Amino acid sequence: MKKKVIGLIDGQSGNIGSINKAIKDIIKGRPYQLKIIKSHFNYSSFDKIILPGQGAYATLMSNLKKLKIIKPLKKYLENNSSYLGICVGMQILSDWGYEDKTTRGLGIINGDIKKFKNKKLIIPHMGWNTINLNKDDTIVTNSFDKRDFYFVHSYIFQNIKKSDVLAFTLYGKKFPSIVKKGNIYGVQFHPEKSHKHGLNLIKNYILKT
Amino acid sequence: MLKTRIIPCLDVIKNKVVKGVNFKNIRVMGNAVEMAKYYSLSGADELCMLDINASYQNRKTFIKTVESVAKVINIPLTVGGGVSDLSDITDLLNAGADKVSINSAAVKNPRLIRQASLRHGSQCIVVAIDGKRFNNKMKVVIKGGREITRNELINWAKQAQSLGAGEILMTSMDTDGVQNGFDSNMLKKVTSSVRIPVIASGGVGNLEHFYLGYLTKSTGLLAASVFHSGKYKIKTVKKYLSRKGVPVRI
Repeated sequence: MKKKVIGLIDGQSGNIGSINKAIKDIIKGRPYQLKIIKSHFNYSSFDKIILPGQGAYATLMSNLKKLKIIKPLKKYLENNSSYLGICVGMQILSDWGYEDKTTRGLGIINGDIKKFKNKKLIIPHMGWNTINLNKDDTIVTNSFDKRDFYFVHSYIFQNIKKSDVLAFTLYGKKFPSIVKKGNIYGVQFHPEKSHKHGLNLIKNYILKT
Repeated sequence: MLKTRIIPCLDVIKNKVVKGVNFKNIRVMGNAVEMAKYYSLSGADELCMLDINASYQNRKTFIKTVESVAKVINIPLTVGGGVSDLSDITDLLNAGADKVSINSAAVKNPRLIRQASLRHGSQCIVVAIDGKRFNNKMKVVIKGGREITRNELINWAKQAQSLGAGEILMTSMDTDGVQNGFDSNMLKKVTSSVRIPVIASGGVGNLEHFYLGYLTKSTGLLAASVFHSGKYKIKTVKKYLSRKGVPVRI
């Protein structure tokens, strides 16, 4: 049987160690192989792509540009191929990011990434918070509803279509914590840091989608 | 709702967790990797690991320990102790730390906070501050309290924030290690003057101390002895806090 190929993009935006290890543990003994993407790639040779990210929107976009990853990634996403973006890896699916400077995103899921407005909030939103499912899905079945995941961010998805929001979280106000359009997923939290529920989400994404 | 984080802290020499009151009478409590794994499995929200004897020789072993710990846990890991420059920070992040805490080096060279947060992102730069009172004034001390600086505590906390710190790990040297509770007064002054998350550290001895720590608006509560000695399990603390109405991850 032909192995499914998972691409893990190293956008030089934070450590990929944890997610790398999580994926390896999941696919061990199963018909999958993991390839790290660090430069231009052939978009048709991957069955799934995961992009973790920390830090700023503008930095990740400019890193991906330097690494010549933007073009093939856009092609890949425009084909509605399977994708999981984590934190900033989710945020760059939007049209625009407003962190540091205004940056054009990949424009796959309409919306903007803007800072939490409420001045009373402790920023960054750092720690474990609950996800509330709008509907259940292959990667987050009913049992994921009201579970806690680990967040670290100051910017959120805004002006997004309701139908693209799979789950929301409360911090001052509701914000999208999981987005989905076709086969493209984005999570604002860090599943690789979110203990067993986080690992189960990654497992569902890899094995069931 | 955002949960209050319960954070066990491992003071480490090479690969052993140790405990000493005010850096005296150091006792070995266990193996760092084993203990980290145990805490991750038993409900810790985050883990903190400090190299308390960061000599050149010990450092190499410590970094290996960080690598091994990062492999066995799947909760966030903050690492610090003896971090002196950008390359130390890079080394620890590469070893698998999610956040690095800087203390003395930031006091001596505040620009390090800015440089580190620009390079790696604010979210992974924690500024650890040790505070102590002198004639009713709260000052910043370094080298485990052995050296007093000219910095006034609140000014320094604000400065750390404006330089790009993502979080403050606040230890009161007036209460650390004596298990009479967090320094509520000092913590409240800090949490009310910055907007970034503050982790309370130093002094937990019983369950009520955790609750009093929560009331200071610190979003992380750090403790060592009460966990390492087996006096409380993480679950016990969380159940207690939950009954008191504190949002925790159970």
